[in-house]
Amino acid sequence: MNRIPFNIRLVLPAQLTIMAIVVVPTVILLWLAHTDWQPTQNIPWFDAEFYWFWNFYDLWYDERFINSVFRTLFVVATCIAVELFLALGLALLFLDEWPWRKVAVSIIILPMMIIPVDAANAFFMLFNERGPINHLITVITGEVFEFSWLSHPTWAMVPIMLAEIWQWTPLMFLLVLTGLMNLPENQIRAAVGLGASPVRIFFRVMLPLLVPVISIAVVIRAIETFKIFDPVYILTRGQPGGATETISMYMYNGAFVYFRMGYIAAAALLVLFVVVSVCLVLARPLRKHG
Amino acid sequence: MRKQKTWQTVLKRTAVIVAAVFAFFPIYWLISTSFKPFDEWANWPPIWLTDNPTLQNYRIVFFPELAREFAAQQEGSLDYKVSGSAWNAFKGSAIVSVAATIISVAFGTLAAYSIVRFKTGGKNYPFQFLTVRMVPPIAVVVPMVVLFSILKLSDTYFGLILAYSAFTLPFSIWMIRSFIDDVPAELEGAAMIHGMGQFRAFLTVTLPLVKGGILSTALFIFILNWSEFLFALVLTAGNVVTVTLQVANYVSASSGKLYGVQAAMGTISTLPVIVFGYMIQRHIVRGLTFGAIKR
Amino acid sequence: MSKKSIVTDRSRRKFMQSAAVGATAAVIAPSFIMSPRMANAATLGNVHIEAAKKAKELAAGRNITLKVLQPSGSLGNVKPVADQFTALTGVAVEYLEVPLGEITQKILLEAVAKSGAFDLALPATFGMPDLVESGILVNLDQYASKYEPAGFQDDALFSTGDYYKGSLYGYQTDGDTYVMFYNKDWLENPDENKKFADKNGYELKVPDTWEELDAMMAHFHHPDKGMYGGALFRTQYFLAWEWWVRFHAKGFFPLDDDLNPQINNAAGVEALEEMVAASKHLYPGARTNGLFENFEAFGAGDKFCNIGWGGTQKFLNSDKSSIKGRMAFGPTPGGIVDGKLLRTPYFNWGWNYVVSSVSAEPEIAYLLTLYACSPAMSTVAVRDPDGYFDPFRGAHYEDDAIIKTYSPEFLAVHKASMEGSIPDLYLKGQGEYFDELRTNLGAADAGTKTAKQALDDTAKSWERITRRMGKRSQGVQWSFLKSIYPSSIRNRLK
Repeated sequence: MNRIPFNIRLVLPAQLTIMAIVVVPTVILLWLAHTDWQPTQNIPWFDAEFYWFWNFYDLWYDERFINSVFRTLFVVATCIAVELFLALGLALLFLDEWPWRKVAVSIIILPMMIIPVDAANAFFMLFNERGPINHLITVITGEVFEFSWLSHPTWAMVPIMLAEIWQWTPLMFLLVLTGLMNLPENQIRAAVGLGASPVRIFFRVMLPLLVPVISIAVVIRAIETFKIFDPVYILTRGQPGGATETISMYMYNGAFVYFRMGYIAAAALLVLFVVVSVCLVLARPLRKHG
Repeated sequence: MRKQKTWQTVLKRTAVIVAAVFAFFPIYWLISTSFKPFDEWANWPPIWLTDNPTLQNYRIVFFPELAREFAAQQEGSLDYKVSGSAWNAFKGSAIVSVAATIISVAFGTLAAYSIVRFKTGGKNYPFQFLTVRMVPPIAVVVPMVVLFSILKLSDTYFGLILAYSAFTLPFSIWMIRSFIDDVPAELEGAAMIHGMGQFRAFLTVTLPLVKGGILSTALFIFILNWSEFLFALVLTAGNVVTVTLQVANYVSASSGKLYGVQAAMGTISTLPVIVFGYMIQRHIVRGLTFGAIKR
Repeated sequence: MSKKSIVTDRSRRKFMQSAAVGATAAVIAPSFIMSPRMANAATLGNVHIEAAKKAKELAAGRNITLKVLQPSGSLGNVKPVADQFTALTGVAVEYLEVPLGEITQKILLEAVAKSGAFDLALPATFGMPDLVESGILVNLDQYASKYEPAGFQDDALFSTGDYYKGSLYGYQTDGDTYVMFYNKDWLENPDENKKFADKNGYELKVPDTWEELDAMMAHFHHPDKGMYGGALFRTQYFLAWEWWVRFHAKGFFPLDDDLNPQINNAAGVEALEEMVAASKHLYPGARTNGLFENFEAFGAGDKFCNIGWGGTQKFLNSDKSSIKGRMAFGPTPGGIVDGKLLRTPYFNWGWNYVVSSVSAEPEIAYLLTLYACSPAMSTVAVRDPDGYFDPFRGAHYEDDAIIKTYSPEFLAVHKASMEGSIPDLYLKGQGEYFDELRTNLGAADAGTKTAKQALDDTAKSWERITRRMGKRSQGVQWSFLKSIYPSSIRNRLK
């Protein structure tokens, strides 16, 4: 033990923990993905028959899987776009000091401090056929609106995305606000002095300077939104019929409802490979500042 | 000119108020539902503020026996027979969250110190820990179930603690790293000139200075652990229960989802997160961007 | 190392399969027919006492706790009985709760994890085949031969789900057969009767066939006047269940002897088309409402008919429902097969007490299930007004509290339906088979596929699933399952 340099010994605990919980399972995945193992076969997983690459072949033609991939990308893009838009708009309102500013900030970041499962439950109640959202729409339109959001194949995504946007816009807001408050003052003052309008200042001066912060925020939120699971599970479980399945929900259903563990292991491997590659590329903004 | 400013200000303030309302509304609904009696949960039109607030939902969560007595006396009140009160879930969450936080912060501090002061592993080493966070947990959960079955860690506190520690290590390493980075190495150097060993210097000089940062990191990681759902869902079978799982247990044969009880459970279990969240408000940005953005 | 241990589980399985295929009925029937048990003093009347006595003996001097994994909300059915068991035997009982929809999955997860988390569990009956195949359930034949009294399973009105490939794996503890509810005031209204008889040529009555029911629903459907034909369901799970009955009522098994799907034959397509046509006469909430909304909807008294279980009646017969006391009941409609009426009531859910193969005390666990499902104690369980268990044994239909909860008219129909219920598709992979069926039926009802397309697609998927599950293995269970369909129905289905 003494021959290992001191600095290596310091990282060992963290490194070993991560290897145990992340690396070893990935190795197991490599084996499982090439079998069609299911617990109902009543054989230990390592005794499963070698299944070559048929799982990957089946995945390629699995409509439900492909749909879940595209659906997840759609969710990520939409949620990030909306969060960013709202965050930018909001942050601009908090640039200067005004009475109650601190209180307002505290309320606005409250959604981040709610356990995601409980927030999802709250949204379940909100979007109930007889819930407040439908009631509001009824009052506004004058016609009875008892729409069943969570049973509709297309519209069920709305509560899910809203729950995600509601919960994490505050984070974007904080990040953008930090970025805005750290902007170099001289450039902005110069632009004001030159007589530029506020809109022009925003788009030509502030926004470009914000790009580093925004890119970090977008990358981080994209990674996290891609994994979205809690709201989907609580609100719809991916129903009706897989119409609201994101990748995580698809894999959960495949592995723990149908117990096709070999097949889902292949899906997991694919997702791991793609996500890690993409993220390593995307994480360059982080590296620049890290 | 002044009139324009006032009009602008009014618009701005209104926007802020609207945002605050949106932010608070779902939480308001959760809290108000938790006080509603059981016949008001799914009315049409929905009841925005109840005229008959009741504590029965909270009783069911914490003191099921008392709830049963109350229901026996009070006609029409929900009498839900729960197997155990939610104390088991709170206990489970507490044990797992605290232990996993301690492990994560301890291991993380050691690793962060090594990376910052010794540049261990080179420039790209810290990013290896980031990739852990990039992995969708569901992808790792399937083989983890198999792994835990081999190691007999299924449905145990230790198994869940291990899983939580591993997945929060990237945060603790990166956050603490940025805190240690803020402290110049010369301070330790000065102590070393006086004969202290390097690690000793770290412990006596730097550590006290980053104490606040480490505490914030610990609270941040505690929040992550307390709110975690997927691992708890899959790696337990009923012996180990966390607060995030307990909410789903409040369904009954005759009424389906017990909204009020779920709301009560949700409100109480989210309180620690709110409290700690506000305490570390300043560091949230640093935490959730892995130390890339500081205030 | 003895020779025995060299034979791995896998080769043993293969041997069993080939042996079974060769002599299915002969091998399976005797153990199932259940000759009177010997060396056993128990009778139906005192089996609970005997079981408790034996458990006490086995547990003497040891501190044993049995853990029961149960679906949330069923504690009221389980605890009162288990408490008495504890009092008689000194064996403590602990409860682990999981959400209702997850319990089969949690048990299957235990087949992988083998953590010993529970000794007994309450999975849904249609989940049993997967659980048996995964090896997590104890084969209870050995204990049944020792302790089960003669006539025990005959007294249970539906025990088809208790057996898999000829062996006992659990005891049924819930009476989840489908029953029809009718608005009695409308049914017996003389004006409506005349109008209906003039148009259709026969008088209003509790319908015997789906044709009659569909005609009556059409007759009573006047949304402009606030009257609706039916409160039936059009969400996916319920679509599948309703179609299952309609299909069987046309006189066919879902699979033939070689496991080829028959669901997409002319009868199947007809059944689906008729079901989709009937959707026009349902209330607007049919496509989105869940179970509890349905209770309230029918309880409002403005719909002609409803379909449901004992749980439905518990609500409709309570003060929360305005239709209490104004209902007529009937079995699920049948069909005319070979010129005669064929009734095919359907047992589509159910809960079974099972014993985990990882349990340290399988024998005592078995005795607890025998105790809980005994006529005396199961009556106690069913009495719970807020629980899941509906009547499933003869004794229940004579208990005053139970009669009061459900009403005697309902119980009469319920009992008759239980006695002749067809089972669900108790095969390995039941979830996958039915998921395909559900999705395609939903598409047909929404109009995105024709009935023929939907069923053809389902049949193709079913063939794929059967291949993946192992045709031979599925074949063994399928022939067994066919052989235990109720005798009145079995011979009339093709």
